[in-house]
Amino acid sequence: MANNQPINHLTRELLLSLSDVVVPEHFLGFGLGLRTEHFQDVLNDKPNIDWFEVVSENFMVDGGKPKHYLHSIRELYPMVMHGVSLSIGSTDPLNFDYLRKLKVLSNELQPEWISDHLCWTGAHEKNSHDLLPLPYNDEALTHVCQRVEQVQDFLGRPILLENVSSYLSYKSSEMTEWQFFNEVARRSGCEILLDINNIYVSARNHHFNPQDYLNGITKDKVKQFHLAGHSDYGDYVIDTHDHPVADPVWQLYQQALIRFGLISTMIERDDNIPPLVDLLAEVDTARKIAQQTLGLSNE
Amino acid sequence: MSKLSLHSLQQQMMNYLIDDKADIAQHVVEHGSINRTARLHIYKNAYRMRLKETIENDHQMLGMYLGDDLFEQMVSGYVTAYPSNKTSLRNFADALPNFLANHTPFKNHPIISELAHFERLLMVAFDAKDAARFTRQRLLEIPHEQWPSLVFRFHPSVQIAAFNFNTVETWQALKQQHAPEPAKHAANVWLLWRNNERLTQFRSLSQQEHSLISLMLSGDNFAQLCEQLLSQSSDEDISQLALNYLLSWVDDGILINQ
Repeated sequence: MANNQPINHLTRELLLSLSDVVVPEHFLGFGLGLRTEHFQDVLNDKPNIDWFEVVSENFMVDGGKPKHYLHSIRELYPMVMHGVSLSIGSTDPLNFDYLRKLKVLSNELQPEWISDHLCWTGAHEKNSHDLLPLPYNDEALTHVCQRVEQVQDFLGRPILLENVSSYLSYKSSEMTEWQFFNEVARRSGCEILLDINNIYVSARNHHFNPQDYLNGITKDKVKQFHLAGHSDYGDYVIDTHDHPVADPVWQLYQQALIRFGLISTMIERDDNIPPLVDLLAEVDTARKIAQQTLGLSNE
Repeated sequence: MSKLSLHSLQQQMMNYLIDDKADIAQHVVEHGSINRTARLHIYKNAYRMRLKETIENDHQMLGMYLGDDLFEQMVSGYVTAYPSNKTSLRNFADALPNFLANHTPFKNHPIISELAHFERLLMVAFDAKDAARFTRQRLLEIPHEQWPSLVFRFHPSVQIAAFNFNTVETWQALKQQHAPEPAKHAANVWLLWRNNERLTQFRSLSQQEHSLISLMLSGDNFAQLCEQLLSQSSDEDISQLALNYLLSWVDDGILINQ
């Protein structure tokens, strides 16, 4: 397994050029969400990219071609696992059957880390298969923290949680999302996957300043950034992951870099999948923006 | 209004998504130019679209066979009758063949349920567990005197499917973008599996081969397979016939190492 795969030359150049910038201990560089459409291209071309993120559920199967490709690609690149079914905020009991499968896959892939979302996906034994927002109050906070601790105990490692895009908020909320998120991380010991696009989408939908969100998150808890595209309908924005990263999100990414420094960053595309080369170009854009932003911020 | 507990909030949200009960709306904040009904509808729409796309992806030929209107009717009926209780969308439509066999207008045309069943079996074969295949080389290494007692095991991807209509031929015609023949009643049995190149494959089984495979599934050894052949075709060279079957199974990659 390629646990200590060297990061590529562009990232190495970036690091050398940023002698004033603190490089986090677990900095992976700039990565991409691995999608089945690109399996063959990745194996044939071995693109110049630092790491891949895989959607855990896509490989919680017993065998077959996708899993064969996954293991072949794992031999070449570091990986992280990203799940969508943990449902950490659900009032249903934790799904230990799911967690056992997650652990089996983790043992197979030896990922750098495992992440999921700060949300709930179903309740009363029914599944919405969506990332539904929680109310941000003490009851939910206590509930989520207790479950994160159970999950981390089971997996034997801290997990990362990601902020979701949301389109509604509840009257029972008593604090902002970022206050809630911070408190979950502080109390449970989990780390933070900050989705820059999701902050932008939720800020537009709920009319808050996305910079307030960034400023409200504790610096040393953030371990990964997601960058993705959305669909803008004017009055509201939907997190569709089927477009390139939008300009306002690139701008917010710059602000995130200024606040949090060098963070492992990846491009997440889930629909309307373009050729691999297009996504690699977006990864390069993320890398260059980091170089320019952190260089400027240190001058 | 008293504060809604997390438990009740989640129950009301699921009731809205699944059953269209809008009690949750009074607990949603109203602000900006988007009212709370519209905000909730974003989730409802996403819920329905996600489940519809799952069925579309899993059942592409069934979708072509039904056409847009009937497909919509099927999706709407299935999503209502079988709200997901699965962790993974991979299993959401597992009950679709059963739904189609028991709900009008689909149950009046049983080939529709059979098409759905065939497509689900293809999925099972696609991502079933891996296992080392039994090879010709391995067979040659086994002393001949041991052959009669050999018991063969199937690769985990192997599926045996019996149909009452020209279901697989219909699926193949749709796959090749040809108009399928009208549904015809005809009992037939098919073998589906994932081959040595990890591609999903299927072929029809003769009555004779099906009976041999059934014996293997019940644990009978090679000698018992030969006895079965002898009882069916006394004037043939039984050992050659049995060997031909065995070699074709080995070459297809449907047998595994013991």
